[in-house]
Amino acid sequence: MATPVFTAHQISKAFGPVHALSEVTVALYPGEVHAVLGENGAGKSTLMNILSGFLRPDAGELRLHDHPVQFSSSAAARHRGVEMVHQHFMLVPEFRVEENLALGQLDRLTTSLNVETRAAQAVRIAQDLGWQVDPRARTGDLSVGQQQRIEILKALASDAEILILDEPTAVLGPDEVEDLFRVIRALAQRGKSIVLIAHKLREVLAIADRVTVLRRGKWVAEAMADDVNATQLAEWMVGEVPPLHEPSRAVTTEPRLVVQDLTVRGDRGETSVQSVSFTLHCGEILGFGGVDGNGQVELAEALMGLRPVASGELTWPGRTTLPRRAYIPQDRHEDGLALHMSILDNLLIGGQADPALAWGPFLRPWRIQAWAQRLVEQFQIRIGKISDPVSSLSGGNQQKVVVSRALNLTPDVLVVVNPTRGLDLRAAYTVHECLRASAEAGVAIALFSTDRDELAELAHRSLFMAGGEFQEDLNSALTGGVA
Amino acid sequence: MRLAGLALGRGAVIAFGLMGILVLTLAAFRLPIGDSLRLITQGAFGSEVGIARTLVKSTPLMLAGLGIVVAWRAGMFNIGGEGQFVLGALTGATLFRLAPHVPPVVLNPLILVASVLGGAVYAGLAGWLQVRRGVSVVISTILLNFIAIQMLDWAVAGPLQQAKGQLPMTERLPEAAMLLRFNRQTDLHSGVILAWIAAGLVFVFLYLTRRGFQLRLVGENPSAARVAGLAVGARQVGAMALSGGLCGLAGGVEYTALAGQLGTGFAQQWGFLAIPVALLGGLHPLGVIPSATIFGALFAGSENLARFTPTGSTLVYVIQAAAVLGYLLLNELRERRAKLAEGAA
Repeated sequence: MATPVFTAHQISKAFGPVHALSEVTVALYPGEVHAVLGENGAGKSTLMNILSGFLRPDAGELRLHDHPVQFSSSAAARHRGVEMVHQHFMLVPEFRVEENLALGQLDRLTTSLNVETRAAQAVRIAQDLGWQVDPRARTGDLSVGQQQRIEILKALASDAEILILDEPTAVLGPDEVEDLFRVIRALAQRGKSIVLIAHKLREVLAIADRVTVLRRGKWVAEAMADDVNATQLAEWMVGEVPPLHEPSRAVTTEPRLVVQDLTVRGDRGETSVQSVSFTLHCGEILGFGGVDGNGQVELAEALMGLRPVASGELTWPGRTTLPRRAYIPQDRHEDGLALHMSILDNLLIGGQADPALAWGPFLRPWRIQAWAQRLVEQFQIRIGKISDPVSSLSGGNQQKVVVSRALNLTPDVLVVVNPTRGLDLRAAYTVHECLRASAEAGVAIALFSTDRDELAELAHRSLFMAGGEFQEDLNSALTGGVA
Repeated sequence: MRLAGLALGRGAVIAFGLMGILVLTLAAFRLPIGDSLRLITQGAFGSEVGIARTLVKSTPLMLAGLGIVVAWRAGMFNIGGEGQFVLGALTGATLFRLAPHVPPVVLNPLILVASVLGGAVYAGLAGWLQVRRGVSVVISTILLNFIAIQMLDWAVAGPLQQAKGQLPMTERLPEAAMLLRFNRQTDLHSGVILAWIAAGLVFVFLYLTRRGFQLRLVGENPSAARVAGLAVGARQVGAMALSGGLCGLAGGVEYTALAGQLGTGFAQQWGFLAIPVALLGGLHPLGVIPSATIFGALFAGSENLARFTPTGSTLVYVIQAAAVLGYLLLNELRERRAKLAEGAA
């Protein structure tokens, strides 16, 4: 057997209390397409970032051509022929294509920046691969698929021997995926070695020679793609599937929200949620699973009334007015908190209309102070002073701020997205207890989570989203119905 | 209590810093420091007239500074205080032109309301351009400043020019339509009190009302504001309008308090100076009161100095620039220290 060109040996990496990778070994052979598979949080991206020099491992070593190497930066990795193509492109939209291509050569710039000559090689490679590239076009005007080509060309032009592609198909349409795979195969035939992150099993089986599966930061299996099928891979990714809880508590059959043929568009006008229907009952925790970016956030925002409904309808049985809705958004830094504002102010977000806290247009500072103190005690948020900026809190306590203020609204419907992401076990436990208690109190909860264990533990039943539609179970969501 | 202590400590730092900058500036201009400081202090506080001048000079700074605070708190970097100031006064003067025979008692409040509206519309336009058309409010307000000044120059030499006389000036307001003056010796006028009241009202609005809270939330994290169900764009336009209204009011007060007529020289950069005033006031409405007063005193004082030296009010601009740079430096240092402390924890 040939020796591997590039090996990650027993790599471990932790972020605070979270072990992103523990003792993972992946070997890349010359001329091979190696797919790294795993659910969200399996550690794929961390591994890629280590391979490409963005992160340094806590333990373990990288071996290039059987010599140990340490990349001090991504530039160092690039010098040794290891190039990463990011999921979020590192292109300057205002630049012309050739300027972006030349940018890839910047670390070798010595005297003058002659864009044309520097881009020439990339353009040659493009022709060679059968890609039409207009070096004069403004990069921002190109389609996403074309931009990805520029990104790949940038990597190839610097004579990369090893290409790391981070979820390259996530942004592409079916035809573009086909073309990308053709090029990946062509590159492999020319002796390039390619690492590919993916979570669509069908695609992995179509392109990869070898597959490594990670689960929660641990190596699970490695196999030649020809020797496995999608079902086997899904099992490896997911592990032993604990049966979803039967509703242990009596869930009322009183419907609170009926969703019919709901279609929702994403930020770029694409169809993110494709005519889904379901009913959410009082006291029920309804889980929405699946891999990130399959319409979960858009659906959640539509349920909250934050995103317009393209077609279909939401109805609230037995109500003439809109029910009280509360939202625990996915990204507390982005959407949940104003980090520079005080803990008090952040607790108040969404609650300013409460007649107990406001008098007409005015706020009642003393009452708010007392109320916030009570909330802090009730949810055991560990704070210094309530006037401190919320950024002074730990992640778990920040999340408690978001959760407590949502529950304090005494909502009829609670929409929750990944409520425990990034939290340690204890904080996650507290959040789970809060959700469970409010369900028992009759709140209807829509729980969006990419963490399957969370759904298994909390949800009375779960739906799985793939491509904006519901799949029967997780495996069909993963395999896209191919298994 | 703690808050007061904190504000006091901060105030002391700023006061000492300004003093240091003042001394350095005097030294740079090769002025005798002791004598110059005495002249400045005399001019600003040495007599009833001096104190009045300080207060009068601080008034447009305070009102426009409050305007800047409101916009910046909402995350809208309004650089157009000058244009809004000019347009406010211009709207007031237009009103006077169109309805010169309104009883003076009503005329004055009407002119002030008109100047608020003029400034509000002008700034609201810039806000709308950003929210709807993606034009940075920084760029548009800077450009709108130039347009406003050109409009002033054109109007006072054209449609608004006084009937008799050759000068590019508007008709003088009747004395009864001017803001109340407290005595004949000084320029002290009721607009000074108006500015202080405005500071209190802006404080109440920003910190004690729901709308104000929402405005600050929009400024701190528009994304969280959206998720909390607020129409972020509308709030931003609203904040700009309020900001422009205050800057416009500054123009209206200046117009109806002092000269009673507009000329090409009416734009005295108060709208620009309001930005450093707001920054040094910590972007807080109550901070603007001392900050505007300090700069008012510097203007009054350096006018006195200018009678004996050739520097004139140049000094004020230099000091203000140095003070803002010093303030930014201070903030930067504080942030770095905070980050270091965070890293150590």
